[in-house]
Amino acid sequence: MSAAIGSPSETVLATDHLTVLSKQKKLLDDVNLEFAPRSLTAVVGPSGCGKTTFVRSLNRMTELTPGLKVKGAVRYLGQNIYDPAVNPVLVRRRIGMVFQRPTVFPMSVFENAAFGLRLIHEQEDEIDRAVTESLQRSGLWDEVKTDLDRPALSLSGGQQQRLCIARALAVRPRVLLMDEPTSALDPAATQRVEATMERLKQDIVIVLVTHNVGQAARVSDRVAFLHTGRLVEVGPTGDILERPKDPLTEQFITGRFG
Amino acid sequence: MATAQATGPPLASDSLLYDRSARTRWRIGFDKWIGRLLPLLFLVALFPIIDLMYFVTVRAAPILSIGNLTNTSPYANLNGNAVGLALIGTFYVMAISTALAVLLGLFGGIATAEFLSERSAGWIRMTANMLAGTPSVVVGYFGYFAFVVYFGWGYSMIAGALTLAFFMTPYTFRTVDLAYTSIPRPIREAALGSGAKPYQYILKIGTPIAFPQVLTGVFLAMAIGIGETAPIVLTTHTSLLVPQSIYSGVTFLTYLVYTGYNLPPGENGLAKAFQAAFLIMVIVIALNIVVRIIAARYRKRLEGLFQ
Repeated sequence: MSAAIGSPSETVLATDHLTVLSKQKKLLDDVNLEFAPRSLTAVVGPSGCGKTTFVRSLNRMTELTPGLKVKGAVRYLGQNIYDPAVNPVLVRRRIGMVFQRPTVFPMSVFENAAFGLRLIHEQEDEIDRAVTESLQRSGLWDEVKTDLDRPALSLSGGQQQRLCIARALAVRPRVLLMDEPTSALDPAATQRVEATMERLKQDIVIVLVTHNVGQAARVSDRVAFLHTGRLVEVGPTGDILERPKDPLTEQFITGRFG
Repeated sequence: MATAQATGPPLASDSLLYDRSARTRWRIGFDKWIGRLLPLLFLVALFPIIDLMYFVTVRAAPILSIGNLTNTSPYANLNGNAVGLALIGTFYVMAISTALAVLLGLFGGIATAEFLSERSAGWIRMTANMLAGTPSVVVGYFGYFAFVVYFGWGYSMIAGALTLAFFMTPYTFRTVDLAYTSIPRPIREAALGSGAKPYQYILKIGTPIAFPQVLTGVFLAMAIGIGETAPIVLTTHTSLLVPQSIYSGVTFLTYLVYTGYNLPPGENGLAKAFQAAFLIMVIVIALNIVVRIIAARYRKRLEGLFQ
């Protein structure tokens, strides 16, 4: 199996009959979805449809919520991340995550970006290089390069969010999960983060959860529509937004619910 | 569809200076007077503590001297005004009990906040609350029978320190537990989501954020411990010698306050009691000021984190 890891055309991430149950109900119901390299998939749907649960189940963040049970499989380069032998820490180092609100740590800009690298005890010069690279990739470099030692909490909300993206990128993951990354940002900051996403999708797999159909139209290659935990429809962004096959999808994108 | 028009006149007066309803006028007046009364009530609440501080200071000031604080001769500490032995004893007992309370509170609090299931964490929190609510004299009797009698250490520094640690641990435990559980969930998830192992999260992210609160808890536990009397009277009793080991007897400041009033006049009990009371007061105030300074310093650094 190891020979296949990293071959360029292979599906990077795939869910296989993924079902997530809470004590009361099914949050995700038999979702099958594949993610090709260098793609940006937008996961859309009304509130409570399971899109956040879906993206959190892709790097075992669901385990941090007590009482959730995951069935089925999520395969990263062919390996099931829910295999009992798999260490969730290693999963999260390959599949990074960015949250709704910026979650910078109370330390300097540099240390925030270097956080994941310090965890794996990288060499200092390698850390320097990787921090610069990740800040450039996240589009924050020009704004912070003169003072990397300033406290990260003194940055604006949009800058903080791009710093969180840089922090996730620093260990060079293949997959970046983004859970409504612009819902707490103003339009200008949103535009910057979207520009960052468009650049990043040339390189890695992005799974973007959004409640904003306009954002999905602007940045994604592919849209997956979830409703009450089921995958209703998935396809190229243009097709889904202009010619949805399912009436539920049409009602959602025309704003009749959500 | 229902009409969008209002169906009657406005129900509140359009005059912004006078309301036609007597009830509204009464409420506005009541609000105004309560607003004037509350600062007065604050002064009433403040009076006892100011009076106490004034009384203790006035009685202690004429007697207090550097000589009294440093004098450790048995005679001066028994028949004179010296409190040097009590000061040394308090220092040692507090040092040991604080170290124990911090150690137990830190490990217990972090384990409860981060590692245990909700169920067992709930049980531990309940136990800690019960321990904090146990009357000090009961803890004192426990310490007496366990350490002084059963372990055979006699009235000693270690018996007092262990008993006091029992008293202080619930406070350090509760603040540590609270400090770690009140770290915003997204911060915790972001750290773990970046591939941090739980212990890496605690060391690198959790502890720097929780630190000021933890330190506050430690100082407040010290302030509580130094004022305890019953557990100390029953476990260290008193001694007229400079302690040589943890098994030596010691005198604690509150012991002088507690016994001072009924000593024979020749032993200068009241003089020592007021000096000891003054010292305890100064130490407690100092601890509270330090807590304020720490809290203010770190609040700036963490600004914007707890949105």
